[in-house]
Amino acid sequence: MTGVRKVGVVGAGTMGQSICEMLAANGLDVYMAEQGEDRLAHAMSMIEQSLDKQMERWALTSAEKKLILGRIQPKSSLNELQACELVIETITEDLDSKLAIFKELDAVCLPDVILASNTSTLSLTELASVTSNPDRVIGMHFVYPVHKTNLVEIVRGLKTSDAVFERTKQFVETTIHKKGVMVFESPGFVTTRLICLFINEALHVLEEGVASAEDIDSAMRIGYAFQHGPFEMADRFGLDAVLAALDRMFRDYGELKYRPSFILKKMVRGGQLGVKSGRGFFEYDKEGGRV
Amino acid sequence: MIILVMNAGSSSLKYQLYNMEEESVLAQGRVERIGMDASIVVHEPTGKPEVNEVSEILDHNTAVRRLIELLTNKEHGVLMSMKEIDAVGHRVVHGGESFKQSTLVTEDVKKEIRRLFDLAPLHNPPAMMGITAVENNLPNVPQIVVFDTAFHQSMPQESFLYPIPMVLYRRHKIRRYGFHGTSHDYVSKQAAETLGRPLETLKLVTCHIGNGASCAAIMNGRSFDTSMGLTPLEGLMMGTRSGDLDPAIVPFTMNKEELTLNEVNSMLNKHSGLQAISGIGSDMREIVEAMDAGDKQAKLAFDMYTYRLRKYIGAYAAGMNGLDAVVFTAGVGENSVAVRKAVCENLSFLGIELDAQRNEVRSKQPRFITTDESRVKALVVPTNEELLIARDAYQIVKAESAEITE
Repeated sequence: MTGVRKVGVVGAGTMGQSICEMLAANGLDVYMAEQGEDRLAHAMSMIEQSLDKQMERWALTSAEKKLILGRIQPKSSLNELQACELVIETITEDLDSKLAIFKELDAVCLPDVILASNTSTLSLTELASVTSNPDRVIGMHFVYPVHKTNLVEIVRGLKTSDAVFERTKQFVETTIHKKGVMVFESPGFVTTRLICLFINEALHVLEEGVASAEDIDSAMRIGYAFQHGPFEMADRFGLDAVLAALDRMFRDYGELKYRPSFILKKMVRGGQLGVKSGRGFFEYDKEGGRV
Repeated sequence: MIILVMNAGSSSLKYQLYNMEEESVLAQGRVERIGMDASIVVHEPTGKPEVNEVSEILDHNTAVRRLIELLTNKEHGVLMSMKEIDAVGHRVVHGGESFKQSTLVTEDVKKEIRRLFDLAPLHNPPAMMGITAVENNLPNVPQIVVFDTAFHQSMPQESFLYPIPMVLYRRHKIRRYGFHGTSHDYVSKQAAETLGRPLETLKLVTCHIGNGASCAAIMNGRSFDTSMGLTPLEGLMMGTRSGDLDPAIVPFTMNKEELTLNEVNSMLNKHSGLQAISGIGSDMREIVEAMDAGDKQAKLAFDMYTYRLRKYIGAYAAGMNGLDAVVFTAGVGENSVAVRKAVCENLSFLGIELDAQRNEVRSKQPRFITTDESRVKALVVPTNEELLIARDAYQIVKAESAEITE
């Protein structure tokens, strides 16, 4: 898919912003769609903040920042994504809302446009079922922060065609320079399934009083060269997101090992969600640094 | 013979059309913002009004087609038909160890340039796109590639090897390659002519100081050493590049500031040099202006820049065990009176006697800036890489056709 120059991104939340920024940094024209001018303006300012942060770390120059921002166009209607050669949906993980979006995209976009979803848990086959040609629906699961994490799980639904998979893989590897791994549809795919089990097991170790959160993190971080230990990782993902993913997998697989730890449930109920609330297993400042 | 010279960047394409009988430029121009909706085309035919247009040019292929249209256009053109173009010369940044001189493009040559993408991931791929675009639009026209690194392939091992495990050289070809070779080659020949002495008898230090900057020690007409290394980051302090530093600074800083490879690369290439020290910018004119107005950081940046340049000239004089002349070229070298003054005045021990008045002269011609008595001369020689590319292409095509007629 060397011909892709314009990419639509539906949903300008944290993931949507991060994806838009990465696409624009790779020289693509990005149409960022979100409901409401306020949300669009907020998303643009968040992307600018993220770019400023990178400038402070010498990753970008001010000229490069301007170029990147200039490539992102806020759009308040899906009709405006007609010119896009690829559309990535990344709204909240709610099946009904996603189905509505795919139905609309299917009507708006030309038949050879790939419709991708960044879902981490929902069924692509189900999303594809509301479109007129389900072979062009595929999963592109990015890992946050998108500009730093060079992995995309390319998820095949039941009817995704080989051609659509190949075009997506080529886009991932040659246009946005990330490693694409092929995954067949299954709850949690590879990344979410393994990492959530890892975090859940760490929670059990903590519950049993085997070691402190700090020491468990150090053991795994230093012992196995993780960037963050399981608890800081969970704090950065958002404990609510971890809980939701575990709940979903517990339901879908029906196996006890996915049952979320009680500590996790308690902390989410108490609003201790990790970096975004300033406190999870550890404390964080506004920039997301450990206190 | 008519030769088209092309310099393809990732989103730009510059060109000159030469008539080689009198080495005159028939037209020149550039296409910018290739791949975007609003690409800019500038076409300057000699003796005719300039053409500026904005249109959608999505790839190098379309850019080449557009420039051929302009060159053969009834109104703005300088050629009757594209058949008049006898050869195309391309600038290619990295020739690795495979290319010691300019060469005719063949299937093997293309394969080798592709193999070198690894060493110059930003610069070689666009050159390849340029070659393919010419193949598509001007089939059967011979193409010649001229490499930035080729001139420096004459360096001896003691100059080009780094004192690190030899296995790294064998496995990954990690060594000094040097850049701006076409320019160092061109100005050293011009300097010899201006000095009125055969190049084969001279010890020269050529300073190509523009946006990027490098020095070369040129002994007997061959590159003996040069300041840029595996990449164009080593050597002199530049506009936004650091040049030489303690290599341990890289892992130390990555650790302290938790930087990724990308971040530290960008820091050294885009956030260092004149810009980092002055806090004003990377343009020497702005630095000198601010320094004259009393800005202390600008003065520090200027002093560091000229000091580091002097160190290289001294080192190369020692390396060659002698020095006949120092040559200044490229944007800063050709235009900054202040830089040349600061460098030359503090090299009097080497036998350089600056002539302040000559140094002030602005001209497009090669010229001395030292006194007639100066034991070691200093010269300004405007560079012309395009002309050298055209000359190389001309020589190679002439030799080829001679072979065929024999």
